[in-house]
Amino acid sequence: MRRAMTFFYIRWGAVLLVTLIIAFLGFQRYQKDVAGLTPDQLLQNPSQDKVRVIGIIQGGSLIKTDDKNRAFFLLQGEDKTLPVQYHGQDTDTLRDLKVVVITGRFYAGTGEFEGEAVSLIPNYGFVAAAYILGIIPALIFLFLMERKLRLLYMEVKEARLYEPEVMDFDKE
Amino acid sequence: MRRLEGWFGLAAAIFLVVGLYMALVSSPPDYYQGETVRIMYIHVPFAQTSLLAYLVLFLGSLWYLWKKDPVVDNLSHAAAGVGVFFTVGELLTGSIWGKPAWNTWWTWDARLTSAFVLLLILVAYLMLRMFMDDQEKEARYAAILAIIGFVDLPIVYFSVEWWRTLHQPLSVSQRGLAISQELLIPLIIMSVGFYLLFTYMIMIRTRMLYLEHLLEAKKGRLLSQAHL
Repeated sequence: MRRAMTFFYIRWGAVLLVTLIIAFLGFQRYQKDVAGLTPDQLLQNPSQDKVRVIGIIQGGSLIKTDDKNRAFFLLQGEDKTLPVQYHGQDTDTLRDLKVVVITGRFYAGTGEFEGEAVSLIPNYGFVAAAYILGIIPALIFLFLMERKLRLLYMEVKEARLYEPEVMDFDKE
Repeated sequence: MRRLEGWFGLAAAIFLVVGLYMALVSSPPDYYQGETVRIMYIHVPFAQTSLLAYLVLFLGSLWYLWKKDPVVDNLSHAAAGVGVFFTVGELLTGSIWGKPAWNTWWTWDARLTSAFVLLLILVAYLMLRMFMDDQEKEARYAAILAIIGFVDLPIVYFSVEWWRTLHQPLSVSQRGLAISQELLIPLIIMSVGFYLLFTYMIMIRTRMLYLEHLLEAKKGRLLSQAHL
């Protein structure tokens, strides 16, 4: 019976390991494809790489041209603003005071960010919260149920349920 | 039966691992909702499984009233307990999705309210089973409550069609598919994983209830021998 319990804990260890691997892959994907910098972070550490910048389009700064794929605006961070030359699709979604994620490159020479794609704020905190609140209680619930079942089996076996019992007071 | 149970557990684990990988890593974000659409892959299976749990409870209750089979009564009891878990999961994940989508954690929308009522019915069922002494009466009254409570099930399912609600309408209906294939495949995989997990859970819980009754019976026999 002890062996069965050891196997049970090993199995659950494997379940925990697989869950952690998926969580790690999800986090890596978040870092690679979803997470972004603020304008302040980008201006403090300018990078030539393609990055995502999250900020608010400063009120009154958005200028749209006749070319539907071009726009100019200032992306506001906490303290600093980043001038953005946007050349890409979905310029209709750009509005004053809207929080957006702009993908593109920063050119330190001109001090401008050349954006090529706009996307919605990731809200990954909500996604993480939903999965944590869904998966972890499910695992705990299942673990406790399986453990209880095994303990009940042990109790039933030890109680020798189907055998006639000899009680202490019968012996007297 | 135990071997079958193990297969269900293994199949659930495989589907959920693949489903979670697709939901969190490989599937694309939605055009309108962005990354928050990923909550759908866990919220919708929770909601579907909650309805499935109640359906099992309803059918089990009908069967019990007809045949008086204690094994089916244990199965219904198990479905109610597991159903509470899935309904709470549905409400929690839905609330988390509601905040970025509707800018509110909760609203007394027809779908949300009817799902909450379903949870109350399940809790009432479990409370009834907890506080009655006569096991046969307990099972009979609980079955009647479950059958009456079944009225809520079509309300939960069709509420988004019958009333103008904040909740989105059915994605799969007679009107066709209102969801792209890229999002549908991970959703189906997660849903199948949840159905298998539910089956595995009620198999375990049914056996637990059976063993608990066995132990209770034994204790009862010992007490009767003691002539107290």
